[in-house]
Amino acid sequence: MKFKDKHRFVRSNMKKNKTRVWMTILASTIGCAFLIMLASIGFAIHKTAVDDVMSFRMVNEILIHKDSGEITEKDVKNLEQIKGVEAVTRKKFTPANQLSIGEYYTYANVMSAHMPSEEKAGFELEKGRMPKNENEIVVGYHFAKELRKDMPENFVEGLSEEDAQKKMNELSYDGDLLNTTLAYHIKVDNPEIKADASVKTLEVKIVGIRKKPAREWAVDASVFITEDLHNQVIKILAELDPQAEFADSYEEVKVFTASADDVKEVTEKIENLDYQTYSIIKELKKMNVYFTLFKAGLIFIGAIAVLIASIGIFNTMTMAVTERSQDIGIMKAIGATPKTIKGIFLLESGYIGLWGVGLGTLLAYIISYAVNFVLPIIMEQFVGEKAPEGFMISYIPWSLTAIAVTICMSVTLISGWRPAAKATTVDVLKALRRDV
Amino acid sequence: MISVKKLSYAFKIGKKGKENIVPVLHDINLHIERGEIVAIVGRSGSGKSTLLNLISGFIQPEVGSISIDHTQVSGFSETDWADFRLNHLGFIFQSFQLIPSMTAFENVEFPLVLKGVGEQERKQTTIEMLRRVGLESFIHHYPSELSGGQQQRVSIARALILNPPLLLADEPTGSLDSENEKELLSFIKELNKEYGITFLIITHDHEVASIAHRKVEIIDGSLREGRMLHEVQR
Repeated sequence: MKFKDKHRFVRSNMKKNKTRVWMTILASTIGCAFLIMLASIGFAIHKTAVDDVMSFRMVNEILIHKDSGEITEKDVKNLEQIKGVEAVTRKKFTPANQLSIGEYYTYANVMSAHMPSEEKAGFELEKGRMPKNENEIVVGYHFAKELRKDMPENFVEGLSEEDAQKKMNELSYDGDLLNTTLAYHIKVDNPEIKADASVKTLEVKIVGIRKKPAREWAVDASVFITEDLHNQVIKILAELDPQAEFADSYEEVKVFTASADDVKEVTEKIENLDYQTYSIIKELKKMNVYFTLFKAGLIFIGAIAVLIASIGIFNTMTMAVTERSQDIGIMKAIGATPKTIKGIFLLESGYIGLWGVGLGTLLAYIISYAVNFVLPIIMEQFVGEKAPEGFMISYIPWSLTAIAVTICMSVTLISGWRPAAKATTVDVLKALRRDV
Repeated sequence: MISVKKLSYAFKIGKKGKENIVPVLHDINLHIERGEIVAIVGRSGSGKSTLLNLISGFIQPEVGSISIDHTQVSGFSETDWADFRLNHLGFIFQSFQLIPSMTAFENVEFPLVLKGVGEQERKQTTIEMLRRVGLESFIHHYPSELSGGQQQRVSIARALILNPPLLLADEPTGSLDSENEKELLSFIKELNKEYGITFLIITHDHEVASIAHRKVEIIDGSLREGRMLHEVQR
């Protein structure tokens, strides 16, 4: 019997018991949707956690630490020679950090960077270019906002925190900083040195503004200077305060690989050179183990609903076999093989399962979308707080859909197997009610 | 066509281990030639239907052998029997045994579907067969919408659709009135004469037995060969 004919035969049988078949499909739909929805909560929490971790660091980034001492230029050269390393970024924090333009000033987080490596590692600019000369700098996207005039007395008195913040913004620099020259005040904090001898000022030009951080709430007001400028600042500080000591090591060294796939191999090589490493891949690996167990638990609980639905399929198919035992007997008498009969009933339970899985998956996607759309609104309305950016309650990746479809279809076929096998054992003579 | 040798059969009645053995057939030997119409007659409970069920493969013999069309069928698996029935045997039952949820067309077409014949060829063959049994205007009727005689004709059409060399009929006229009975018997004679189909008919009706070339009587599980048709007629 051809598949097309089996399909037609099964469809015609299913049509005869529409209500019963649709109720069974409904049970499968609910079971499947429940499984996907429950697991989707686990997937959403996992995704949110991973996104959160990844929003701060890049996947191909390896943070380097050295227990046995400071990381120097020699170490950087060693790291750069490892196969698979795309760039080694290194930063030194510069002690002098006051910058001003006219009456606006700020104390920023100033650090030197090796600009060619930063470019290779994916340092992105909102506008402008990377520094080429010693007195050129790049500032963070929010640097201008942090450049403020002195606050007059009683400026924010009596205002709420929110209003005070708004009013403070009036003090911020609101012009375009690109190609603007700032005064960089290099000052030592030694009370033994006279005030006029403790400060020296350099002029620096902003040639680039760093790209806005991906996170809405993140504030980037840092200042990136060249290594040459850093050396000059250290030299000036040493002149101003000969007793002061300044380390010549890197405070932050990161290795960037060409792709995320290289991270594992490069990490191993770096660790063999007696460095300690920390990468997002390492962190995610630990996190993934925990979340995989959590998701497996949710899938297991969800599968119970599918099992309950499968009892419905088992009942429906058992009733179908009992009701059609005479038809089965006639079919066997004419020449239908046990394989054909089993195939027909398995196909019928398979179709019930397929409809259930199809509708269940669709329903799960609709509920998932609705929950993610509606719940933040409800939260804002009733709790008065906005949901964090990128927050998800339910997330259905294709892998979850594949897992759910596999579980539901397997359970469906298992529950339909016994009735189908029972159909093959129908006694022809009993079915035909013949006088033997 | 059919060769039954030393066939014995007994029913086991009761729970497993405590079964009562009820002998039904004892040392049956029967040989039917191609193109013959053979009637098996006997009283109720004599074992005539059991013999037909053994020849049809619905029950398996424990002693003796059966061969049909030079094929040793005793010992066949269920799948082998299904294939053999589809390709070699046609059945006409007393209560027609049509699938109630299928139309006359679908019932007749079903053996072709099982055999995997293409849709176009199936349609053509089925309509032709229904025309042959005079039911071309009832193709979309369900069995419940047909008279007893019409249902039996659908059943015959289904039995003939794959051109089997052997037709097994169990009380074929049992549910028919005398007019339909006559019509059916003349149709059987016509099929035998025109197409050489072999018929094995189980009946207790002398009218039915009268069309057979040979009459075989079963008395208390043993077979007694009857007179040939021409002898009866003479």
